Amino acid sequence: MTAVGRTRRVRAAVGMALCLTMLATGCGGGSGDDGTVELRFTWWGNAERAELTQQVIDLFEERHPNITISPDFAEFEAYWQARSTEVAGGGLPDVLQMDYVYLRQYAERGVLLDLNPQVEAGNLDTSDMVSGLAETGVIDGGLYGVAWAGNTWSMAYNPALFEQAGVPLPEVGWTWDDYHNAIRTITERTGVHGAPDYIGRIYVLELQLLQEGGQLYTEDGQLGFTRDQLRDFWNSTASLRDGGYTLPPQESAEVAPLTPLGADLVASEMSWDNFLVRYAGETETPLALGPVPSDNPEVLGQYLKPSMLLSASARTEHPEEVAMFIDFLINDPEAGRILGGNRGIPATNAQREAAELTEVEQAVVDYENSLIEAGDLQPAPPAPPAGAGTIEALFLRLGEEISYGRISVDEAVEQFFTEAETALAS
Amino acid sequence: MTTQAVSASSSSATRTGARRRTLTTVLWHVGTLILLAIVLYPLVWLFGASLRPSHDIVGNIGLFPTSPEFGNYQRALEGIAGVPVSRFFLNSLLLAVGSVIGTVISSALAAYAFARIRFTGRGVLFALMISTLLLPFHVLIIPQYIVFQRVGLVDTYVPLLLGKFLATEAFFVFLMVQFMRGLPRDLDEAAKIDGCGHARIFWHVILPLARPAIITTSIFAFIWSWNDFLGPLLYLQTPDNYTLPRALQLYIDQTSASDYGAMIAMSMLALVPVILFFLAFQRFLVEGVSTSGLKG
Amino acid sequence: MATPTVVREAVETTASPPPVKPRKRGRNRRDQIAGYLFLTPWILGFVLLTVGPMAASLYLSFTNYNLFTSPQWVGFDNYVQLLSDPRYHQSVKVTLHYVLVSVPVKLVVALGVALLLNNSRRGQGFYRSAFYAPSLLGASVSVAIVWRALFSDDAIVDRALRLVGLNIGGWIGNPDYALWLLILLAVWQFGAPMVIFLAGLKQVPQELHEAAAVDGAGRWRRFISITLPMLSPVIFFNLLLETINAFQVFTSAFVVSSGATGGAGGPAGSTLVYTIYLYQRGFQDLRMGYASAMAWMLLLVVGLVTVLMFRLARFWVFYGGDDDR
Repeated sequence: MTAVGRTRRVRAAVGMALCLTMLATGCGGGSGDDGTVELRFTWWGNAERAELTQQVIDLFEERHPNITISPDFAEFEAYWQARSTEVAGGGLPDVLQMDYVYLRQYAERGVLLDLNPQVEAGNLDTSDMVSGLAETGVIDGGLYGVAWAGNTWSMAYNPALFEQAGVPLPEVGWTWDDYHNAIRTITERTGVHGAPDYIGRIYVLELQLLQEGGQLYTEDGQLGFTRDQLRDFWNSTASLRDGGYTLPPQESAEVAPLTPLGADLVASEMSWDNFLVRYAGETETPLALGPVPSDNPEVLGQYLKPSMLLSASARTEHPEEVAMFIDFLINDPEAGRILGGNRGIPATNAQREAAELTEVEQAVVDYENSLIEAGDLQPAPPAPPAGAGTIEALFLRLGEEISYGRISVDEAVEQFFTEAETALAS
Repeated sequence: MTTQAVSASSSSATRTGARRRTLTTVLWHVGTLILLAIVLYPLVWLFGASLRPSHDIVGNIGLFPTSPEFGNYQRALEGIAGVPVSRFFLNSLLLAVGSVIGTVISSALAAYAFARIRFTGRGVLFALMISTLLLPFHVLIIPQYIVFQRVGLVDTYVPLLLGKFLATEAFFVFLMVQFMRGLPRDLDEAAKIDGCGHARIFWHVILPLARPAIITTSIFAFIWSWNDFLGPLLYLQTPDNYTLPRALQLYIDQTSASDYGAMIAMSMLALVPVILFFLAFQRFLVEGVSTSGLKG
Repeated sequence: MATPTVVREAVETTASPPPVKPRKRGRNRRDQIAGYLFLTPWILGFVLLTVGPMAASLYLSFTNYNLFTSPQWVGFDNYVQLLSDPRYHQSVKVTLHYVLVSVPVKLVVALGVALLLNNSRRGQGFYRSAFYAPSLLGASVSVAIVWRALFSDDAIVDRALRLVGLNIGGWIGNPDYALWLLILLAVWQFGAPMVIFLAGLKQVPQELHEAAAVDGAGRWRRFISITLPMLSPVIFFNLLLETINAFQVFTSAFVVSSGATGGAGGPAGSTLVYTIYLYQRGFQDLRMGYASAMAWMLLLVVGLVTVLMFRLARFWVFYGGDDDR
């Protein structure tokens, strides 16, 4: 550490000299002395999101002439590479879009700002959040993320294919066996595969664990399931796989980056409910959202997860303005109207009402509302531990290798536990 | 062209010769064009795709749409978040031209030293230069970022250009070294006898002769800068400073909807300046270098 | 002897200074000063921008470093772990396959096309630009989309291959063929070595060819005894640089394979080239120490390959400008 520290100092000194000579673009930026505050705000997303977010920023700046928001955006993967680099350099942006899977990692390592004092000071209001979302940003008592949008795990399906095969549409109370039978029947009768092999999706395992009263991660951040449970899960679709009822992995790889459902290759696919919007962008086939299968009709295992949160840098010089900006982003009806469903379904009631939603987005809201009204949603589990992102990717990769028949389930289980334990320990 | 060649010949002996030459020329063109068709097919496919509606691109194996439409280009030209597309082009151009100038000057100087001057430590320094080629850039990103961040140069073009002016791309130095070492040594010996110092030999003898290497370097430096994504991702924050690759990648996002049409349209548009640049510069590769004229 | 001095010195990086030929002292001192003057920009860049980060990554390779907290010294742990990491072995296997096939094929294609275009027939500018155009695209998502499309089931490549009796189907979803997709992509973008070959061909003095033609040497004979030797520095450059670059291939592999359900490097690890694994360890798993160890292992191996190539170059690379030929 001392070695690095010293070289850093030396390099900084030399760099300073360079900076003076290379003044073409000038050194740094920052807040001026005239009372204006400049906040850097980053998010991931596409061009359309950048467009809408800029409008919201303009609106905020109009209302707060002393605050300037300087935006920065990139696609998801690139976004996180840039953020990790910044973390190493010690300079996260003032306000950043946060993913649930990384929240604890960033919070526990002390790079995020605890927003509780700002809530207490009245700069940030989280009271209007939809069922349970307000709690999702709390880590060890501190508020490190504020949900901006939410989603829940769901079953998206193509009703026409279900009907063509004479299979009843998904409804609350259907079991995993029902689902597997539906997959078989649809494949046999329509020639379209009933579903992709879902064993790579860790959220399906989580769903089943929650239905059985378990959890994916324990309170102290360890794996919440045993080798046997994982083996059973990965074996559960073996007969579908071997019988050719689920979509062969080759075929889903062929159509990527389209999703199998979006490419009309399957009749159903489990994923986040707001993916319905993505599917609708990929195919013109009408799709619907249904309840997930459960062997325990009392518990569906679904919960409202923040699909993205807003966090602030622990090093920000303007916590008050940061809180005001976050408050505006999540609560302001006008901001909600502009953003619509672009970031997923808004997290606050005020913005849900204000948002102008497309038909598909409205269908997602209706789906969530029906779950809330039926009391089927349970509180979200604590934010996943540091390393959860690695584990999710590991799960996906091993699931794929099993689907390809490149690795036996037993081998995969061993590999998973070895790697996952390393990831959780580091 | 063929008829010209044929009619130009008069005697029967030269006529058969000319005919054979014409035949090889025709065969050459036909062969080259067939090869070209194969090589260019993917590009043509991309151009065809840029004329399709966005949802009809991925997974479509056809070449051209039956009813081409230009909506993708329209969307691509709209700009992003209030920043016009011309801005991205201009930023990219500025960086690319800066890179070319910096790289050519600094690499040529270094290459001359390595290739033509004997001095203590040359071998070691050369080996060190080659070794900088060997480390994958991923592990260098973070330390380099920290340097520029500490100095407050993030969100300026300095981190993207400074290295170019300091010959940090060993590829180019080595490329020029290889070319310069191929130039006959009696040229600078003659110049030395005439009393020329290294500066004048470099400027008047070596640089003109190394023109193919300089042109090659310019072309590559331009294109690499033009297509660079990671540097601008880490060092540019304000959208007004974004380059084309950063803008391009914004049409794709795995967590939200992707607009493949606009992205492909944009990458077609982004090709135009590099093709023009290449067309303009490749001409200088055509003229062979004759060393004989300089010997006297 | 055709031993290139610079190379010999580069290979024998022992501290002993290169032999100084007896010369006039004044000339020699002037050379010393001029050498360092000409090298000033490079030395500055090396010291300011390259040495520090390289040293830092070497240091980090002996630590656990998650980017958030300060690195912790673990000695050779990362290197030891590499030896028993099955995924690391897979990445080495995939990379070797990629390097050994893509480099020679790409260079032969590049040299072939360069020779084809090295004449004064009409339309050279057009042909050159057209053959170079694929390389202008870089490794963007557009390339990934078109490449996946061409090699998908029942697309043009599949149909063409069926005509000759090969029935492969889609390549990208098939772990046995996915890497070939990347190899073909590398070969398709043969523009850079082609341009370098062209520039090299332009430097072959025309009068040598003319003199040989007068002596009655045929085209093939002239190619073997004039073009190839005169081109050897450039061939060597291309061979070395393409090899080094192929060992570090990243962006094209990353964008093409990112669509795989199991993430980049798929399907089933079949395109897991070295730097994709390094990237995943460093930036996704945030194990930068491990990634740095991987980087230095690569540096060692590619460094050995480089030294070997420089040594072998003595036997076949010919520099017209060397004084001790």
